[in-house]
Amino acid sequence: MSVPVGHYQYDRIDRDFLRARIAEFEGQVKRRLDGTLSEDEFKPLRLMNGLYLQLHAYMLRVAIPYGILDSRQLRKLGEIAQRYDRDYGHFTTRQNIQFNWIRLEDTPDILRELAEVDMHAIQTSGNCIRNVTSDEYAGAAADELVDPRVHAEVLRQWSTLHPEFTFLPRKFKIAISGSPNDRVAARFHDIGILARPGEDGAPVFRIFVGGGLGRTPVIGEELFDGVREEHLLATLEAILRVYNAHGRRDNIYKARIKILVQAIGVEAYREAVEAELGQMELDRYRLTPEAVAAIRARFAVPLLEAPDDADAVLTQQRRDDPLFERWVRSNTHVHRDPGHIIATISLKPAGGIPGDATSAQIGRLADLADAYSFGEIRITHLQNVVLGHVRKDRLRDLWLGLSEVGLAEANIGLIGDIVACPGLDYCALANARSIPIAQKLGARFADTALQAEIGALRINISGCINACGHHHAGNIGLLGVDKRGEEFFQLTVGGRAENGAALGTILGAALPEDETVDAIARLVDCYLGLRESGETFLETLTRLGHEPFREAAYEAV
Amino acid sequence: MKRPVRLELGQKLVLTANRLLDGRTVWWREDGTWDLRIGQAVLLDADVAETALSRAVEEAQREGVVGVYDTAVLPVVPPEPVTVREKIRAHGPTVHPEFAVETAQ
Repeated sequence: MSVPVGHYQYDRIDRDFLRARIAEFEGQVKRRLDGTLSEDEFKPLRLMNGLYLQLHAYMLRVAIPYGILDSRQLRKLGEIAQRYDRDYGHFTTRQNIQFNWIRLEDTPDILRELAEVDMHAIQTSGNCIRNVTSDEYAGAAADELVDPRVHAEVLRQWSTLHPEFTFLPRKFKIAISGSPNDRVAARFHDIGILARPGEDGAPVFRIFVGGGLGRTPVIGEELFDGVREEHLLATLEAILRVYNAHGRRDNIYKARIKILVQAIGVEAYREAVEAELGQMELDRYRLTPEAVAAIRARFAVPLLEAPDDADAVLTQQRRDDPLFERWVRSNTHVHRDPGHIIATISLKPAGGIPGDATSAQIGRLADLADAYSFGEIRITHLQNVVLGHVRKDRLRDLWLGLSEVGLAEANIGLIGDIVACPGLDYCALANARSIPIAQKLGARFADTALQAEIGALRINISGCINACGHHHAGNIGLLGVDKRGEEFFQLTVGGRAENGAALGTILGAALPEDETVDAIARLVDCYLGLRESGETFLETLTRLGHEPFREAAYEAV
Repeated sequence: MKRPVRLELGQKLVLTANRLLDGRTVWWREDGTWDLRIGQAVLLDADVAETALSRAVEEAQREGVVGVYDTAVLPVVPPEPVTVREKIRAHGPTVHPEFAVETAQ
């Protein structure tokens, strides 16, 4: 078997571990079914294996480490959707995939099938360090300074079954990027890490702590800058130890690290981490160049060869076909190799369910990845899919292939590229439905020419205060609330997760569900009427403030 | 502890849970068994619901259900839950008509 491009190659130790873990879980499931284990006893065990009980069925969340898959793995996910689910997979805002219609008794078999392709559902739930997320353009983007995947893998290995951090006060999310352009929402994570080359060429790390969304949205604060590679794990270990020791366990809503950082202040937190580092046996946590090199060696590198005229071919094809030109404008990003390009495939068809794909679409994506991108696929935290290394002269063929399965929507970064959680249609925690409002908005702004005219504008929708749809980070955010049994949506504006991260602020009173789409349409019309040449929605909002937008949104209420 | 459901005039209570094997939403019948159709649910007045709930919780493992609780409905045919959440549990997700749940008796 050839080594897959893009992600770490498992070995016998990894596979033996997965087999043992599945056998353990299979025994737990048997004991639950025969009544030996009560639901209270079983719940934390199933959650540690990614299995939730939602409104209509069990939901299995499968980990996609740093969002990267190979075609064999993606094909397997499609097979699981077809065989064990109702033919759909749902890609999440944490670069994972969820199956919404799972049977408890099937779960060990599903985990066994996942293990066949080196996948699992461990630590996709529970109060532990969750799946580490990373830049969807890692190792491909022209603007990248350090490929973050090797260190993301280091973090995956460090955090998986870490004996001290299996029962943290609350869940813990880490994101890592190696680009000066933050594509991982680093400042909205418990720990956000930005890598860059140091003076000697070796990577150094800027570390933010205490960011997060949810009930108490907070922008993470810089804890350290210039952390050397050899000290990365020791530093993270110390940060987690301070949290584990002092984070609150008496109140679930006050248990995240952001609450602790806010309570004692980032300076005091830094001092506590430094004190912890001072008493740690640093050699034990030293990340040596040899260890990093050994992990790097388990990543296959794509052979980026392209004909000399690849760029010219693409340029001509763009001139000849306006629809293709529109898709290239919105759905591609500059690759580090001049003969290649990064293609983002939208899972946001007009009127569709954000992040959903059928088993047929999943299978076709795997085929297209094999044909056009070294069999490598990335899942984005914005619920889309990326093929990272497409030869420029073959991009149009890829686009035509995507068109055949309804995956050629030209809307990345535009108003139709809506992020939404599963909401009350599936989720046991939700207060309101996120998907129908996303579908209505997607249909309202279905015209891709109109979307291009509106320009960069991100809508995020959450069905409850837990904010899985990252509504605080949306340029326009929608939070579903329940008012005496009726669905309402609270609007926020001005959020952003990229460089210059900002939390959206509430525009006014929550609107009834059936008035929300019209209100957003008026808000967008207001922007189109007031913007100056070349201004994005956020830039116009910053220049004029909220008032004109508030008046527009609420004028008919 | 779950707060008692506050019934408004004309409302009744039904018991609901998820099936242990597959997580499907189920409703408590008069004979103590569980059914996928809310139309099969027994309608309870508040004064007897507590006893029924205790019995259903006690028998949950034997009957293969998990997470038993009571919820308010309008006593129409089939009963219509009062909250959006329970309506969705009774009828299925609103975004996939093909996943609609049969509710009739």
